[in-house]
Amino acid sequence: MKLTHLTFLLTVAVLLTARQSISAQALDISSGGPPTITGAVSGSVTGSSNVTTDLVVTINFGEVSPLNTNSIVKVVVPIAVRSNQPYQVAVSMSGLSNANVQALQSSDVGFGLQNMRLLGGAGKICTQSSHIFRSPFNNDPASSTTVLSNGRISYTSSLSNLTGSTVILSGPQLSKNNSSIRQQSDGYVFDAIFAITPQFFAAGVSSATLIFTIAAGPNVPC
Amino acid sequence: MPRSKAAHRSILIATLILLGATACFGQSTTGTVSMSATVSKFVEINSGGSVTLSGNSGGGVTTDGVANSPLAVSINLGELGPSNTNSFVTAQVPLKLRSNAAYVLSMSGTVTSSGTTSSRIVAADVGFGLGTVTRSGTGVSSGSDTNATSGDPTLGANGSVNGTTGRYEFTAVRSNLSAFSSATTILSGPIIMNAVPRSNTNGLTVPAFFAIKPQFFENGTTTVSVTFTVTAP
Repeated sequence: MKLTHLTFLLTVAVLLTARQSISAQALDISSGGPPTITGAVSGSVTGSSNVTTDLVVTINFGEVSPLNTNSIVKVVVPIAVRSNQPYQVAVSMSGLSNANVQALQSSDVGFGLQNMRLLGGAGKICTQSSHIFRSPFNNDPASSTTVLSNGRISYTSSLSNLTGSTVILSGPQLSKNNSSIRQQSDGYVFDAIFAITPQFFAAGVSSATLIFTIAAGPNVPC
Repeated sequence: MPRSKAAHRSILIATLILLGATACFGQSTTGTVSMSATVSKFVEINSGGSVTLSGNSGGGVTTDGVANSPLAVSINLGELGPSNTNSFVTAQVPLKLRSNAAYVLSMSGTVTSSGTTSSRIVAADVGFGLGTVTRSGTGVSSGSDTNATSGDPTLGANGSVNGTTGRYEFTAVRSNLSAFSSATTILSGPIIMNAVPRSNTNGLTVPAFFAIKPQFFENGTTTVSVTFTVTAP
């Protein structure tokens, strides 16, 4: 009987230890709320409004030829991040490689970050370090357009600024607790903003995939 | 002991279920944003500016063209009988085309007259042609366009007096409206615009010439109506 108890206790302990080793990751990225789209013609954006669900967002900018008479198509994707340690968020991109320079290029998709905010009361407020949107991404691309000498629209930052895995954000610890379970309020949210100005692009359909990754970042104090 | 084993089994199962449940709310270090966008073929025709009317006696431009606005021009050519001593009454209508793809500009026209005899103004009496095509300005792509008309219909090479009937005739290829009873290509070419926004007002411009030589036409009134259509095949 003692042996049975001992075996049982060891089994539970092993399971809990294993679970603890999983929770030790303590770096998490998820949906930060419902994404929104404005200025689109036949466009849409889908993603979860639940901040405890994985970040899986699909953006259809719709028509971006002059058939879309809106000045810009703008998509705001809230992204939640959690950590029990300093962190950094990087983005890598695949796709969007049109050989025709008059077709949609990565530089034609404005990409910026704004509005870092507490997800809720369990977010950690650090006073010795800040959460930093890395240059040049700290802007709203829909509000930072310029016209190049060739007449094409340019953004302060765009998908063309992503080379390989590019760090876009870093900072100190994000969460007060050390839970391996996503909670509604235990981190921060920021907005990833995408924008395309309808132009006389060469006709075609373009697509791209962005992977956002959170990892241990520079060791900054909280 | 059996009760103890059962209890242990229950606790173990509950632990596993609990662990499984927490895994459902577990963390992830990556997230995905997929995006797509569509660029459809786009073409448009607008006015290239004000109409120029010359050689007229009476008449005038009733509704003028406004650059970069929809083309809706109305012209009164005035007197076309021998009392107008000018060699031609000519209306020059500037057109502006823009596209993000190869384009084809076609035209169809109708001529209706109150006259009843063969001396009334008919489609063949209305000369037509496109002038010099211009691609210029920021955002306009270079390219070679094909003018399927014979150009300014008043050019000497494009018409003459019929030696038999004495009537002036526009004789060159697609130089009068009798060639346009149905939509007929008058201009075609490659993509016009580079990747610039619609607010950029540059484009391809070309003047459309309409001309009538005053003659001893049967008296009456005549209405000429033409429609330009641009497509991206």
